[in-house]
Amino acid sequence: MDYRRDIPLAITFLVGIIAVLDYYTTLEAVTNTFTVIKNWGVVLQAFALGLGAVNLFRVHGKRVSERTREDWMFSGWLLLMLVLFVVVGLGTGQYDASTSYQWIYNSLYLPLGATMYSSLAFYMAYGSYKVLRARNFEAALLFITAVLVIIGNTPIFPATFPVFFNIREWIFGPIVSGAYRGIRIGVGIGAVVLGIKTLVGLETGYLGRR
Amino acid sequence: MAILTPNRLVPLAAFILAWVATYMAIQMGKQGKIKIRRIPGLDAIEEIVGRSVEMGRPVFDIIGMGVFTDIYATQTIAGLSILSYVSTLCARLGAKLYAPQASVDVLPVAAEIVSESYRMEGKLEELDVEEQLPYLSGTQFAWASGIIGMAARLRPAGNIMIGPFWAESMMFAETFDRIGAMQIGGTARMYQIPFFAALCDYVLIGEEMFAAGAYVSGDPQQIGSIAAQDWYKLAALALGILGALLATAGVTIIGDLLRM
Repeated sequence: MDYRRDIPLAITFLVGIIAVLDYYTTLEAVTNTFTVIKNWGVVLQAFALGLGAVNLFRVHGKRVSERTREDWMFSGWLLLMLVLFVVVGLGTGQYDASTSYQWIYNSLYLPLGATMYSSLAFYMAYGSYKVLRARNFEAALLFITAVLVIIGNTPIFPATFPVFFNIREWIFGPIVSGAYRGIRIGVGIGAVVLGIKTLVGLETGYLGRR
Repeated sequence: MAILTPNRLVPLAAFILAWVATYMAIQMGKQGKIKIRRIPGLDAIEEIVGRSVEMGRPVFDIIGMGVFTDIYATQTIAGLSILSYVSTLCARLGAKLYAPQASVDVLPVAAEIVSESYRMEGKLEELDVEEQLPYLSGTQFAWASGIIGMAARLRPAGNIMIGPFWAESMMFAETFDRIGAMQIGGTARMYQIPFFAALCDYVLIGEEMFAAGAYVSGDPQQIGSIAAQDWYKLAALALGILGALLATAGVTIIGDLLRM
């Protein structure tokens, strides 16, 4: 018996079956058992968060102590911020509800997140430029469709010529919705089959090469 | 009191049928009766690793921000299966692998998978888990900026992104494209598929990523299980066409049945 393979497979099967039963049946014993399992999951995730913090400290602490890399100061900054957020959050006793914590969150983290999010516009522009070069018939079709959707989304055109709005609606309706539903059905079926394979221990990729 | 949850009778029957179909497909696979089409995106993984070795540059394998406890867990599992395959190839061929992590519960599993691959190839001493599988952040854009920074510094020759992705998918695809990395993208998140299609060299669309683990394993039994997906999809297609025709004629029996 390969316990490193068989024990995780047995746990996966047991927990998976309980989850399936909880979804399809109203048995109280199953619901209560699954609630306990979900609570264990929350506790395990909390421990895993500690593991993530340890990983960050080990990796970046090493870089700061060695100072051989050009970017070691970023590692120092990361550790400083990590400690700052924890100290402020725990020190006030109000965690993320404290005014100090919210101030550093809103002043430091939020603007950085917003900057990254807004930079998506430039990434999209680059992607659009790459994909919308009409090099062959299919690409030309995509280009024409994209132009029609852009025109349909720009208020001045549908306001002047309502047909552009109707074209856009037609593209989003029969064409896009139809294709998306086809993919969605495939995704759903693929996920169910992979779930079954994981339950019965046929899919073991997540355990490594065992 | 009813034992079965109301309105879930048909989903339960569908689940049992899927189970039976999967079992039958596995049995047929064992007998070598099932042949599946090639998936270019998965065939290209070896090419990416080989290219990285030739260029002396690393390979990135990004499995997304999924965890084991949300609805995207199956995508995370598919991503981990590919990570297992990619890490084996990297260990065997001598390419340096980087797989930055965003989920604290997936991190130890990913680290164990990669360590196991290197151990099986007898090259465990070449792996530095903390350096090659760093935990960057659990928040989306901090994680994204971390990976963009790593990509800019390390200039990998290949990038494999299979798993659940959100808005960061565009950032990754564009950044790796700009530095000249060959890319494979695969996600079942509908809004991200077009981004991968725009910038990746190969794309796994929809259910192809769920077949990835079985496909790369080369095991006839596992390959057989992929056929179950196709049978089920054909049944869904037939049901969809029949339902549409009946609904057009004013008969809603299929819709009513599916709501049971």
